[in-house]
Amino acid sequence: MKTLSNKNIVITGASSGIGREIAIEASHLGASVILIARKKEGLQATYERLKAGDHIVFSSDITNYMELEPLITKAVQKTGKISGFVHAAGIEMTMPFRNMKPDYYEKIFGINVIAGLELARIISKKNYLDESGGSFVFISSVMGKFGKEGKVAYCASKAALTSSIKAMALELSQKKIRCNAILPGVVKTSMVENMFASLPDSSVEEIIKQHPLGLGLPEDIAHIAVFLLSDKAKWITGSEIVIDGGYSAG
Amino acid sequence: MKKKDFYKDLLEYLELDETNLDETTNLKALEGFDSMSILSVIAFCDEKFGKKFTAQQLNAIITVKNLMELIGMEEFED
Repeated sequence: MKTLSNKNIVITGASSGIGREIAIEASHLGASVILIARKKEGLQATYERLKAGDHIVFSSDITNYMELEPLITKAVQKTGKISGFVHAAGIEMTMPFRNMKPDYYEKIFGINVIAGLELARIISKKNYLDESGGSFVFISSVMGKFGKEGKVAYCASKAALTSSIKAMALELSQKKIRCNAILPGVVKTSMVENMFASLPDSSVEEIIKQHPLGLGLPEDIAHIAVFLLSDKAKWITGSEIVIDGGYSAG
Repeated sequence: MKKKDFYKDLLEYLELDETNLDETTNLKALEGFDSMSILSVIAFCDEKFGKKFTAQQLNAIITVKNLMELIGMEEFED
């Protein structure tokens, strides 16, 4: 039996990058995946790379918080109760602190933090959660622990995410839900490509140099995510797992 | 946008000690202009003109006039 057989797993940010790779890998390990993202074309491209199964795709803006519970209800009606959740949706913002505005923080926190916590809260309800419990995985960032110029909002949002899983792990242990955060360094995704385009070449070179093993690939993160989703990780909760090619070793 | 408002807003965004700008000012030679300043200029162009530029595009900019030409001279009036 494959390690994720009989597990239904909700994945946000599934239209590209890390979310897409986790969806693909989870499907190959036997999971049915429920993919959520805004971009229809990206979701379709992910869907086409899944191993065949009872997968569902929802094109939705996860910051429309009132739409999240109906979406989860629909998913449970179609595939059965949920035993895994991955919040991989996230946006990046590189902006000098002096030019930040309150709505920039609201936007980044809405996607990176609030939508993930709200989905976790909904999925943890007994109507939606598998009787055997569940595993929630939040894709945070090493930037939630280490500062970087121009990234006050991003760092704050990822630090909030990393902290929240600890409180969540304590509260949800009674429901047999494990909550963990993965803290990647810079991973080659379309989001990072866009970020690099907005930075001077010297800054890009510096970021690459800060990763002794080079930049990561989405599958480097997906391998750990599927492990945390599996029962092999049954004694791991409240943990922050750093995967950063040596970024934080220096 | 009136040119004098453009100079004033740009200075405010960059938070530099310089108090006067005009078309001939060499932006990169201004004291305190650094890699974060490039990001400020990108944010400024997006916010004020709805135009998104990359750092590579801004690397070619030397004077304030170069920046105005990148934004589009039709956006400015005396």
